Amino acid sequence: MEAAKPSSYLLYILPSAIGFVGIIIIPFILNIAASFTQWRGVGIPKFIGLANYARLLKDELVWEGFYHSLIFILSMAVIPTILGLILAALLFDYVAARFGKTTASFFRAGFYLPQILPLAVAGVLWGWIFSPIGVLNTTLKAWGLDFLARNWLGDPGTAMLCVMFVMVWLQLGYSLVIFMSGLARVDPALYEAAELDGATWFERFRYITVHMLKPELFVVGLTTTIAALNVFAPVFVLTKGGPNNATTVPSLLAYYHFFTTNRVGYGATITTMQTALTMLLAYVFVRLQSRDQ
Amino acid sequence: MKSIISAIVATTVLVSTASAQEDKVFRVWWFEDQGNAADLAWSKALDEFKSKHPDVEVHFERKSWDQLVTAGTMVLNSDSTPDLLEYPGGNASTGLAASSGLLEDLDPVAEERGWTKALNPAQLMFGRYDERGLFGSGPLVGIPNGAEFVTVFYNKDMFAQNGIEVPKTFEDFEKVLDAFAQNGVTPIATAANDYPALHVWYELALAKSDRKWLDQFHGLKAPLDSTPFLEASKKLQDWVTKGYISKDSTGLTASDMVGLFEAGKSPMVVTGTWYATEFNTKITTFKWGQFLFPGNTIHPASTGGLWVVPKTAKNKTLAYDFIDITLSNENQKALADGGGVALIAKAEDISNPTGAELTKTASDIVAANGLGYYPDQPFPGYYEIIRTKVQALVGGTISPEDAVDEMKQAYDDAQSDAH
Repeated sequence: MEAAKPSSYLLYILPSAIGFVGIIIIPFILNIAASFTQWRGVGIPKFIGLANYARLLKDELVWEGFYHSLIFILSMAVIPTILGLILAALLFDYVAARFGKTTASFFRAGFYLPQILPLAVAGVLWGWIFSPIGVLNTTLKAWGLDFLARNWLGDPGTAMLCVMFVMVWLQLGYSLVIFMSGLARVDPALYEAAELDGATWFERFRYITVHMLKPELFVVGLTTTIAALNVFAPVFVLTKGGPNNATTVPSLLAYYHFFTTNRVGYGATITTMQTALTMLLAYVFVRLQSRDQ
Repeated sequence: MKSIISAIVATTVLVSTASAQEDKVFRVWWFEDQGNAADLAWSKALDEFKSKHPDVEVHFERKSWDQLVTAGTMVLNSDSTPDLLEYPGGNASTGLAASSGLLEDLDPVAEERGWTKALNPAQLMFGRYDERGLFGSGPLVGIPNGAEFVTVFYNKDMFAQNGIEVPKTFEDFEKVLDAFAQNGVTPIATAANDYPALHVWYELALAKSDRKWLDQFHGLKAPLDSTPFLEASKKLQDWVTKGYISKDSTGLTASDMVGLFEAGKSPMVVTGTWYATEFNTKITTFKWGQFLFPGNTIHPASTGGLWVVPKTAKNKTLAYDFIDITLSNENQKALADGGGVALIAKAEDISNPTGAELTKTASDIVAANGLGYYPDQPFPGYYEIIRTKVQALVGGTISPEDAVDEMKQAYDDAQSDAH
């Protein structure tokens, strides 16, 4: 049989390619173009060269936002991945073996629940929990633990920690589900052989589970890191970047300039910068992965 | 080929039928919460409109203030604009839309339909915007649809139990606050994770300013003279230290604040008259009243939202007909009867005592040249800056000097942009 020419596949890519060009590429180019202008969103943009970029370099708030992005990588990518890996192994090896698959599925579904909950709803619920007169403080006070009660989202000292906690809660299910499906693919004979050779649970986890799940680890690591760099909705519904910008992120600042100050050109500059950083990071990830393979 | 032609013909027919039907559709938006006085009055106006135009299909959509502040100009710049919408007043919103050429100049129609006679020049001033988008002069692009002001709502029972009288001067007011604080009660419930704390702060700034300063401030006439802001910021932090307002309010929203007042946890809230209808219906366990911020002659107040007609509106005449109804004595009375603040109705005609009192106070404020508008109105984006700085001031994480520096810097940037 004659092999199909590569060009014959192009037809199949076409539908996605049209969508990709229309929804991603064209707006992206327009966004870059807008970043060289002074524009209020209506009327005719005025070309101002690199003035927006010069402003960006001096804008402390934007850099503070990028610094917070690093913290979000920790709470949306690093912690959920590590925790997800450990929990997946526990559910797979221990809970499923000891209490049956139904119990393990129940926990898996439970951890995944935040992913299907609409973010706006989750934000309102966590807002109620963390309010100074909310569920958490009321419960603490009822237990006589008044000294632990805090102004959770109103105090810059605790606001970031609370947002981080919500992020871990939100992201954990995603990595857990992927790791569990990855584990189903691993040949049980490997574990049995290791067990016969006297490997402890941790050794089996370290040398078999982690090793075999490398492709999943890369995918989860990459997607969650990108999500962390672009995070907007959870921060918007929880703190709007406050108090006093303690939890602000680049997306939120871009939104602020696009829609509130109507400095659309400057908003576009922030998103262009953000996209550049995200692409750089994605490139590093993909390079690492291909080198590993 | 034949099929292409027939498709084109069919589309043209469809489009023309659609546009014929368009003449019979009236689209109107407003951002009032469901059930507040303005919402009730305008729903009534819409009923009247329907009976006067039985052949017109009415499409109403409720928007939020936030939606219009953030994306209003984009909506107005699109082809899906309504015929009439309530729009937030001020340079930052209506001014921006007007100076971008998105709003219809209503001067001729206002003259023709007598709106300029029904409303006085001071009331109409907030609907006029110049080519830079600054309010006060220029074409009339917005028709005020009600009035509002920030005032001190208080719990009469808690005042009586503590033997406290309504204060007349700022010094007396601080004594009242102190008396409650001494009894372990936070006298003013507020919310610094939202707009209310900003109103307290602005009242304190207005206490240290005059008409001349205010005109400069709102007109972006010169770099900011930040003295009133600094005084207000210092006083606000002083009030937090003394326990007059709670530090916890940095984590509270307006509805939390209202909840604290309605539950009788705090005897006072400094907030807008838009909560009057809610207090009327929800507060049943105590008597409440209101007094203007003691000592101030100028108050955070304006002529409510504005009716604006987008340039691209399809049925402008229907929009004007609806404005006519909302400005009628009958509908303005309905607004006040619902506990709202009317622009036109006479206080003695109003059956609801709250509506009567608030309407009278509002006209007194206008008569005394006491409209102070809101601190976020000079330019787009100032709201977020002031709100976050006031939140930090209440939380004690910024010094008054640093907070005011940041407010001044943003103001001066916008001021130089405008000139």
